[in-house]
Amino acid sequence: WEIHLDLMLNCSLTRANGELLNFSSPARPSFGKKQLPSIPKNAVPVTKPASPAATAQLANGTHASYGPFYLEYSLLAEFTLVIKQKLPGIYVQPSYKSALMWFGVIFIRHGLYQDGVFKFTVYIPDNYPDGECPRVVFDIPVFHPLVDPVSGELDVRRAFTKWRRNHNHIWQVLMYARTVFYKINTMEPLNPEAAVLYDKDVQLFKSKVVDSVKLCNSHLFDQPKMDDPYAISFSSWNPAIHDEAKERMFTHKRRPEDHQKGLQVSGLSWVKPGSTQPFSKDDNPPQS
Amino acid sequence: MASMVANGNRDGRQGEALVLKGVDPETCMIVFKNHWAQVVKILEKHDPLRSNTSSNMAALGVIGLSSGGPMRFGGPIPGDEASAVQNYVEHMLFLLMEEDAGQAGAMGPILEFVVMENVMERLFLWSLRRQFTDDMKLEQLKMYEMIVGQARQPLLHHKPVLRPLMMLLSSCSGTAGPEVEAELVSLLNQLCCVLAKDQSVLELFFHTSEDQGAANFLIFSLLIPFIHREGLVGQQARDALLLIMSLSAENQRVAQHIAENTYFCPVLATGLSGLYSSLPTKLEVPGEEWHCLHREDWLQMPTLVQFLNSLEFCNAVIQVAHPSIRDQLVSYIYNGFLVPVLAPALHKLTLEEVMTTTAYLDLFVRSVSEPILLQTFLSFILLHRHENVHILDTLVSRINTPFQLGTVSLALFQTLIGLYCEDVMLQLILRYLIPCNHMMLSQRRVVKERDFYSVSAAKILALTPSCCSPEHSPPPLRQLDSILWSKGTDNSPNTGTMETEESFLEEDGSGYSCVIGSEIYLDVNYLHYLYNARLGISSCTRACQVWSAPYDGEDPPPEEGRQAQTTTDPAPTNQLELEWDDSYDAGPVVSPEAATAESSRPPQPPAAEPPKHIQEMRRTAIMLVKGSYIEESDFQDDVMVYDLVAKKDARDTVNSSEVIKGSKEVKAHVEDHNSNLQSPLATEVGDDLMDQYEELIRTLGSDEAGTGGSSPVKTVDKEFRNPVVTPMEEDEVDFSSFSVDTPELEKQHLSLFGTKLRSGSTKSHSVPFTGPFVSVLLSRLENMLDNSLHVNLLLTGILAQLAAYPQPLLQSFLLNTNMVFQPSVRSLYQVLASLKNQIEQQASTKKDFPELITSAQHCLLARESSLKGQDSRECSPPEAGRMMKSSPPPQPKTISLARTEVFATVLFTEFLKELAAIAQEHSILSHVPMEE
Repeated sequence: WEIHLDLMLNCSLTRANGELLNFSSPARPSFGKKQLPSIPKNAVPVTKPASPAATAQLANGTHASYGPFYLEYSLLAEFTLVIKQKLPGIYVQPSYKSALMWFGVIFIRHGLYQDGVFKFTVYIPDNYPDGECPRVVFDIPVFHPLVDPVSGELDVRRAFTKWRRNHNHIWQVLMYARTVFYKINTMEPLNPEAAVLYDKDVQLFKSKVVDSVKLCNSHLFDQPKMDDPYAISFSSWNPAIHDEAKERMFTHKRRPEDHQKGLQVSGLSWVKPGSTQPFSKDDNPPQS
Repeated sequence: MASMVANGNRDGRQGEALVLKGVDPETCMIVFKNHWAQVVKILEKHDPLRSNTSSNMAALGVIGLSSGGPMRFGGPIPGDEASAVQNYVEHMLFLLMEEDAGQAGAMGPILEFVVMENVMERLFLWSLRRQFTDDMKLEQLKMYEMIVGQARQPLLHHKPVLRPLMMLLSSCSGTAGPEVEAELVSLLNQLCCVLAKDQSVLELFFHTSEDQGAANFLIFSLLIPFIHREGLVGQQARDALLLIMSLSAENQRVAQHIAENTYFCPVLATGLSGLYSSLPTKLEVPGEEWHCLHREDWLQMPTLVQFLNSLEFCNAVIQVAHPSIRDQLVSYIYNGFLVPVLAPALHKLTLEEVMTTTAYLDLFVRSVSEPILLQTFLSFILLHRHENVHILDTLVSRINTPFQLGTVSLALFQTLIGLYCEDVMLQLILRYLIPCNHMMLSQRRVVKERDFYSVSAAKILALTPSCCSPEHSPPPLRQLDSILWSKGTDNSPNTGTMETEESFLEEDGSGYSCVIGSEIYLDVNYLHYLYNARLGISSCTRACQVWSAPYDGEDPPPEEGRQAQTTTDPAPTNQLELEWDDSYDAGPVVSPEAATAESSRPPQPPAAEPPKHIQEMRRTAIMLVKGSYIEESDFQDDVMVYDLVAKKDARDTVNSSEVIKGSKEVKAHVEDHNSNLQSPLATEVGDDLMDQYEELIRTLGSDEAGTGGSSPVKTVDKEFRNPVVTPMEEDEVDFSSFSVDTPELEKQHLSLFGTKLRSGSTKSHSVPFTGPFVSVLLSRLENMLDNSLHVNLLLTGILAQLAAYPQPLLQSFLLNTNMVFQPSVRSLYQVLASLKNQIEQQASTKKDFPELITSAQHCLLARESSLKGQDSRECSPPEAGRMMKSSPPPQPKTISLARTEVFATVLFTEFLKELAAIAQEHSILSHVPMEE
């Protein structure tokens, strides 16, 4: 069953990846949605106070008009890092509407929370990377000492008291979100009940966790809470749709040679590996 | 008569075929035999051996009446008899053509009869017996073309058909007029098609002769003289040869024969030299903006078209031929064209000539697609030394010439960089970066570091001159298409999920999420730069997958690079004496008189001197700037003399090999036949037939012998059988010349020519140096405000092209604004920053600068849209400024292109965006796993 989920997510993630990376392509029709039609000449633009960050950039002498591009590319960079990390059991994809909001799901494969499938959303501050650390909010408040029982927000800040650019990355937040389910910490809890139970009556804690996991999983197939094309949605196994995709997943092996054959490789090299001399390869035809 | 055959072939056949459809084979056979009986009667009547006694008198009687042509065999043949034969033959051939093969591939009865009776050979002899004029040849050729092309059963497998065909072919070679040549090539082409389809015929075409030990491949040899022909004949010949070339890839024997026993490769390569020498040495340049030969340019030049045809043919041969032929051809092109012809041409004495050669070279490199041929050209450019100087160094040094030569050289490098070739990039730039000497030691780890937050892009864009900032753009250019930037968390950082969600949905209900800052407009054309950067980097990255190393500061290791740079490679030091200096405007130190005196001086030991051609060019350049330049027509240029010789040689070679080979082959062929007559029916006719034939050929060949002579072949032999080896001399480098005191010598010498030694003079090889190419590019960029628009377009185009390369060494050098370099190293960012200052200065002193900027922007936009209409297939990368897209503005007042500083300012601003976009895309693309 989890394979099914993984598979489904993988498919959509690939797509999300592609979409996201193509974000700045003007040729893509989907991009049009992100763009307002030209403002009529005398129209008054939507007035909203300029964000403090933008003003600051202006003061720096940087052109604020490029600010959004820097932000977007920073987030794209973060996202590519997440992909690279291949965090076990964690899938995320940025929302369609904003690169500052990422949808995610985490699969707990063993321990107290085994079989738990928790959906969550990552909120990234718009002055990233100079602001606070990103927030992680579970769709359904999981019974956990560090998860707010009302809002579902995970206490991330304790792990990242100060968000430092270049040192802290979003994949670390995701990694942290996974770790809390394997290593329970009851210090300064957001859910005191869970903390106390864990310390005093583990058995009751365990049964509460089992109930919580059941509750979460029972809502798994609900419509996504956010109306966003890239929101993560689960559907039950439908052989007509999923069998073929599963098949493909299992047969698909990366074969670099095949991959390269398909692509027209246009580059040239006659440099022997390990050499810094041009035309040092042995199979060069003689010139004289 | 020939036309009758031709008509029958082309037009009449349809009707004939219809007529024959219903007729049964036996009737056809009877008709055929009857016709043949009639023909034989006439043939025998005029056979000199058989009818000597009986018809001598009659023949003598006719002599007086005939119109005195050469009469060899018993006198002329009356016209009515000849045409009777012709008519019969025509019918017979139709019957033969229309005959189907027998069962299990056996011969049909008519074909069998033709073979048994040796019909074709006897008909050929008949035509020899009459005056063997071009008309006669034409007739015979057409006859064969018809039956070979249209017969329903294979004919060429049968020696009695093939043999007379071969005799005919050999007798047609060399001496014939254009019509016969055209027909000959057409038939040869057809034969090659048959060959390509049915390789079993190949054996028969070879006619191995035991006594000679050498195989003969007549149809191939006959095609060689037509390799470089222009027009349809040449094209057909080349097509036919290509068929044989692809045959050679599978057939070792064919390959060996061509490589060892024919002049194919040398003729092809020297032909290039010959054709090259007929190209104009100076181009009529359409305008100052012109910098490379586009399709529409060279289509106007027939000689260039012809050269490119031959080059394309070489390319095709290399693509399909057997490796032994391929390697031989490549070697001949290198040693027979590039080194002896192109290298001197690149070092001619006048700027125009050198510029022309450079433009040719650029065109050639762009025209060649086969990697091995490309490699030949590239290794010539990168490694060959002319008068002890690398071609590459000379070319690089010319970028800095203030004239069109500089732009044309830039265009050449644009082509080279666009090849994504590791060897090129290694020689041009990377080898100077590998040692990591150009950066502070502590910076090595930064090389591979990733710019997460677009810091470099921001720093680059921050150089945007205040007069050009997006906020200050005038209304028509101002980007009104604002991008929406959604900020899901904007409203309530501290509120709960549900609230955030609600507010988000609320905004969504309004259609779009919020705008970042009301008065801030996003530069939409920046999106285009991002898009293009993405395309450029992706294709470059994909192309570079075949490279041997990542060039990331670790592989290849810096130590190795240092070694390579300091020991095996003389270029960094050599370059010092070559690098053009922009001090030309400082005025020449050498007076014209002194210069003339200098040129008449005996050649000096080259130790401390820049090569003579460089001196000469520098001198003419200086004079040109000073306005005192007069075209010196009496340059004693041995290059020119060489070219003339080469030209003549090439012609001779082609012609003579054509003639000599022709007659030689024929002879061999005849001998071959003598020992090869096996058919019992043929033997009795055989002896006298061959005697007659030989005599015929002797008389035909006699006038060839006079014109041909044998010496040219010897020349060819000497030059190409044992090609003159031009050593690379890589290991003969005189290391002492790189010692620390050599630059001093150069300094003294160069100061004579008014050159101040800039970057190079005091540097020994241990001093950080990013290489001559980068240094020349940056120094030209530094003068951006004075450069003309098209120079700047080229320059920025090349730099953007370089910046798109994914190698961390290159990326960090060009784009990483945080990198700390050695004090002596100039970075792109430094140059850009100094340009910004210059621009701000200009803007502050000129009141109308903003207005001028606007005019220039409009002017560029107009240029942009006009360029879009044109065919720009040959223009490689998108140039900066290409992407200035906006609503078409009302045309304001015009601005003169002479206001270079204004155009440069606009271009500079666009270039910053282009670079920033590339930097941003690198931060993503270079880190995405390659699987998609």
